[in-house]
Amino acid sequence: MIKIILKNLWRRPIRTGLTLVGLSLSAALMTCLLSFGQAYESAIRTDLDRMGMQMMLVPLGCPYDGAARALKGRTLDSSLPESALIIAQKDPAVSLAAPVYTAAIPRKGEKRTDMWVGLDDATIKMHSWWKFTPGSHGFDGPNSVILGSEAAATELRKPGDRLYSPETNRDFMVAGVLERSGTSDDSLFFIPLKTAQQMFGEPGRLTAISIRLKDPSPPEIAATAARLQKIPGAQVTTLTEMLGVFLNLIASAKTLVMAITVVALVVSLFSVFNTIMANVIERTRELAVMRAIGMSKLGLFNAMLMESVVVSVSGALCGILLAATGGGWMERAVHPYLPLAPSEGLQSVTLNAALSATTMIMLAGICAGLYPAWVASRLHPSAALRLDI
Amino acid sequence: MQPSDQPVVQANKLVKSYPRGSEIVHAVVDIDVEIQQGEYVAIVGASGSGKTTLLQLLGGMDRPTSGTISIAGKEISKLSDRELTRLRREQLGFVFQHFGLLSTLTVAENVALPAILNHKPNHSRVDELLERTGIIHRRNHRPSELSGGEMQRVAIARALINEPKLLLADEPTGNLDSATSERILELIGELNKDGLTIVVVTHNEKLAQCAHRIIQLSDGRIVNTA
Ligand SMILES: Nc1ncnc2c1ncn2[C@@H]1O[C@H](COP(=O)(O)OP(=O)(O)OP(=O)(O)O)[C@@H](O)[C@H]1O
Ligand SMILES: [Mg+2]
Repeated sequence: MIKIILKNLWRRPIRTGLTLVGLSLSAALMTCLLSFGQAYESAIRTDLDRMGMQMMLVPLGCPYDGAARALKGRTLDSSLPESALIIAQKDPAVSLAAPVYTAAIPRKGEKRTDMWVGLDDATIKMHSWWKFTPGSHGFDGPNSVILGSEAAATELRKPGDRLYSPETNRDFMVAGVLERSGTSDDSLFFIPLKTAQQMFGEPGRLTAISIRLKDPSPPEIAATAARLQKIPGAQVTTLTEMLGVFLNLIASAKTLVMAITVVALVVSLFSVFNTIMANVIERTRELAVMRAIGMSKLGLFNAMLMESVVVSVSGALCGILLAATGGGWMERAVHPYLPLAPSEGLQSVTLNAALSATTMIMLAGICAGLYPAWVASRLHPSAALRLDI
Repeated sequence: MQPSDQPVVQANKLVKSYPRGSEIVHAVVDIDVEIQQGEYVAIVGASGSGKTTLLQLLGGMDRPTSGTISIAGKEISKLSDRELTRLRREQLGFVFQHFGLLSTLTVAENVALPAILNHKPNHSRVDELLERTGIIHRRNHRPSELSGGEMQRVAIARALINEPKLLLADEPTGNLDSATSERILELIGELNKDGLTIVVVTHNEKLAQCAHRIIQLSDGRIVNTA
């Protein structure tokens, strides 16, 4: 029976082929968009989780923007007093309070902006995912610098080399170079906190403080957040809030994704409908003969429905293949525009997304096939003798 | 099992009417027929006299407007569509003027189709029938690669695959030249000699002459039986 269905579809290779192309494009689109949304969410979670912190102290202002900037190593317009750090460190619930001071040096000649990040020992401890290249070690003096892999590559420096910053007229020793991580760390210049504050003329000021709690349970987080909120000039953003905001930011993108998906589904639905309907009309006599020689109403209905399922599922599978092989460009295209772009690759098609896309397209295929199948099943066997040649 | 003296088809006061615009066309009026096991019956008559309509009723493809008809011992008004379909599939074989082969399937697949629909595929029987109808050398060809006579042989083989009690044919030679027609006539005659019950609608004098009995229709009524 399946063989008959396949042969029938094959009879009009161009028509079936075009339908398949359309279907696979919409399936590819759906798979990419769905995978992307899912991967984005999980990648952000991993990124935030591995920092091992539960909240951040940032200067008053838009807290989320502040947190995002601090996480990405970008500057803030305002800063925190160092007293905030001392209060945070003294808080009984806090296990680690890690300050950062971030500043930008525009490099007009090279058309880029270098980000310099001042850290202290606590911050380095929190960056537990750092991996040094061979020959590297931590800060060994006020003028040491640790380079992200890209920063080291642009500056052509390796551990032990000297690095001169003309804009601030300072000389550094490269203490270490980080392995490529795919995160924003790659492009940063890390220096001791005190040096950074001096270099940019803001001694005693901080950009943000990451806080790790002894007990990361939700009530503890809430209680500590409430206490730290009272520090003058500072505000607390918990990780959950941050995550929520990032996900909100992509929620609007998701609405767009859903709209595109619905359009893609409707388009697939129409093309399947057209193909199967045309098949039914074209084969009226053959179908009537099938009825006459012993195919039941239900049998014919199922056979036609099966035809649309076969078309739509094969379209969906082609589309997933397409997405799996060609989806990379899409990730590269959107990555720079995402808030807090996660470090993990997003291009991989998730099984979940592939399954949902297939299911949706198959359901669309079934819906599209219902009417033609019904029309076919209503054919009267006597039509086999009636229809003229 | 029914006793062998029971007719294959028994029809009483068959009427079939079609609405056409505001009037009603009586295509078949008050027909009583009995077709016995092993009989060879030809239905003749002018165009529009109701031959095809009668054949449809005898073949369980359509239900009469009034009257009763039993096919292979079953009163069809009592059957559901599913049961009637099964009856056609298992007890009846059909041959059409336009051959009615599925263009996407090979000769052998076309012949096997009713058996597949019956969930009893039987490859050796397919070849046996293709041998019998003299078309075995074409078993893997498509219908479009065959001549009309060859296609009709395939159609006959297909009609026989489920070992029907009755073979119904509507103008089986209508699309064939006279030499080919004769070859098909011979085949049908042989099948009848082997015990198959046959009802043929035809304009073909010769085909009608071969039959045991000729039913002549005019305006939906039987005007003569010979
Ligand atoms: N489905 C239908 N709807 C309306 N009228 C029909 C239908 N089928 C047949 N008729 C009418 O019933 C009458 C008998 O038709 P039928 O096809 O049985 O004649 P026939 O003897 O087979 O003719 P022919 O030799 O041309 O095949 C004709 O007047 C025809 O127009
Ligand atoms: Mg006719």
